[in-house]
Amino acid sequence: MVMPLMLTTATLADLTARTGLDVLGHLERQVTIPVTDGIQAQGDLLVIPVALLAADPLGRTRRGVSLVGSPRWHAVPGAGVEVLRAGTGGNPHTLVADPGTCRWTTGVDDPQRLALGALRTTGVAYLIHPEHGGSGIAPGTYVIRRQRERSGMTGRPSDFPHAGNPVRYVAD
Amino acid sequence: MSAVRGPGHDPDDTFQFATSPSVRLPRDASPAEKIRLAVALRNEWLAVGLSAAPANRPAAEAAVGRLYEMAGAPPPAFEWAASPLAALGAVRAARSRYPVIQPPRSLVRQHMRQWPVAARLASLQSSLRARLDARIRRAAGDWPDSQAGNPGTVSMYGPEDAIASGVSDRSVVVATVGQSLRWTLADAVAAPLRGALAQAIGQAVEDDELNPGGGVIAFRSQHEAAWIGYYDARRRAGFGGYASADVGELDTWAALAASAGWWWPGEGLCVMAERPVEVHTEPLVGSHHGELRLHCGDGPAIGFADGFGANVLHGTLVPEWVLSGPTPGLIRAEPNVEVRRSAIERLGWDAYLSDGGLTLAASSPDPGNPGAALELYDDLPDQGWGPPARILVVTNGTPEPDGRRRRYGISVPGDLDNPVDAAAWTYGLTGELYATLARRT
Repeated sequence: MVMPLMLTTATLADLTARTGLDVLGHLERQVTIPVTDGIQAQGDLLVIPVALLAADPLGRTRRGVSLVGSPRWHAVPGAGVEVLRAGTGGNPHTLVADPGTCRWTTGVDDPQRLALGALRTTGVAYLIHPEHGGSGIAPGTYVIRRQRERSGMTGRPSDFPHAGNPVRYVAD
Repeated sequence: MSAVRGPGHDPDDTFQFATSPSVRLPRDASPAEKIRLAVALRNEWLAVGLSAAPANRPAAEAAVGRLYEMAGAPPPAFEWAASPLAALGAVRAARSRYPVIQPPRSLVRQHMRQWPVAARLASLQSSLRARLDARIRRAAGDWPDSQAGNPGTVSMYGPEDAIASGVSDRSVVVATVGQSLRWTLADAVAAPLRGALAQAIGQAVEDDELNPGGGVIAFRSQHEAAWIGYYDARRRAGFGGYASADVGELDTWAALAASAGWWWPGEGLCVMAERPVEVHTEPLVGSHHGELRLHCGDGPAIGFADGFGANVLHGTLVPEWVLSGPTPGLIRAEPNVEVRRSAIERLGWDAYLSDGGLTLAASSPDPGNPGAALELYDDLPDQGWGPPARILVVTNGTPEPDGRRRRYGISVPGDLDNPVDAAAWTYGLTGELYATLARRT
């Protein structure tokens, strides 16, 4: 199926037709999805322009967030890239874009260990989630972070297998 | 929820590491080929650690007999129990076979021949691990590697991307096999199981009957697949060999890990526990290295044939009432913050909040989420010396099918007074930055 590459403005109906992904029936499908080059949240994920993270945002560590030296970029295919899927076979956040316009890497050095990865897009890219609908991302480079919460130390392994930090990730 | 036996390879009764033909890679195997094999071996060891198949009793008894022999003791008689709890009962009933193990400090004043066999076995195991570690360190020293000291780079990539990005295969194998197996089997499976065992016998986890310090020694066999699998996978995937005598010892521990559950070695008697009959796990979301944790919403996440088991929700060991009937009152009386959180998630945040047990500290509009508020509540005090906390109650940006917007609470540090700062903290941002949030869906 050949679809016109017209993702500059899109509705949920456009995106689901393009990608084969589905969203819950009660979500508004015919309204154009807002596109922003600022910070936006989709449930437990946050999309942040990388420039805003260059300096250490909380002043607690010496480093800001950066891409590693030469990150492994992957082209985002028409079917999209699953950025995060909930634990028990749940709902994924999927990054979609016109083929050839957007790349994705997990090679992000985030001192706070919240970054899932980064996207660099020359067109409008979208995050889609079955319960949260669509989020439109203007051309640019962004980090996608997960959400965390405080955790008691007892009775539960930390969600940071390689750090031992007493916080855990929020899961939708 | 995953199948009962975990992902990947399902070891059957003939599963025998000591006799299986070793996979050999060509001498010039690429780092990516070595890592692919190491990941496959990791998954086999993960399946061993999560196996819910009946014990292979002949194989387990043969392996224990060999270990007793290495420790200079004749082969013991065996008593099998349906669970670690039943095994502990059998150990208590045969207490004369289990001399109290003195702390290592006192043991060193005796000749090793006089040590209880359990202490000799523990020493055998830790000496083996020290020799294998020394061999691995020596091999790493031969090939200085600038990236070896940065496990952060490894953990942000899947194993093959890490290799392609120039991270050394030696660093990748540590993260994707060693740390992954240890996190899943030791931290996320054996630790809650031990907690459930301590609760079942009415003791604090630190108390002596489960601990080397003064009591008897429990070996965790199946869940020691974490360290055994790491050394084994390194060797089989071409990361360097060990002295041949050490390979023989490692294979004996490996054969035992692949055959039975926990075991308690005594003088002339060894009590062996069966493996669980059910194990329910979920993947650790967002990790690239295959970690799993226990989770089951409608029964024990790990359960044994005699009914003993551990109730675990998303990795948290919880009392039975959390599964069967959480109420606001029970939640308020619960001292452990993790148990409280799990119980609230079961009950539903709306039901818990409408009960009115929490005190509102501050409230403000939610940036990017018109009509919604961020509400900061004082959490109940935690047990012990845990830091104070607050609960940030947030509202979804998107309505549910019934038109309402779901509310839920997120635990945040207690020193946050401003709801926007608290919401920002959950994403690692400053309040000023978070206040510019354009849209929440």
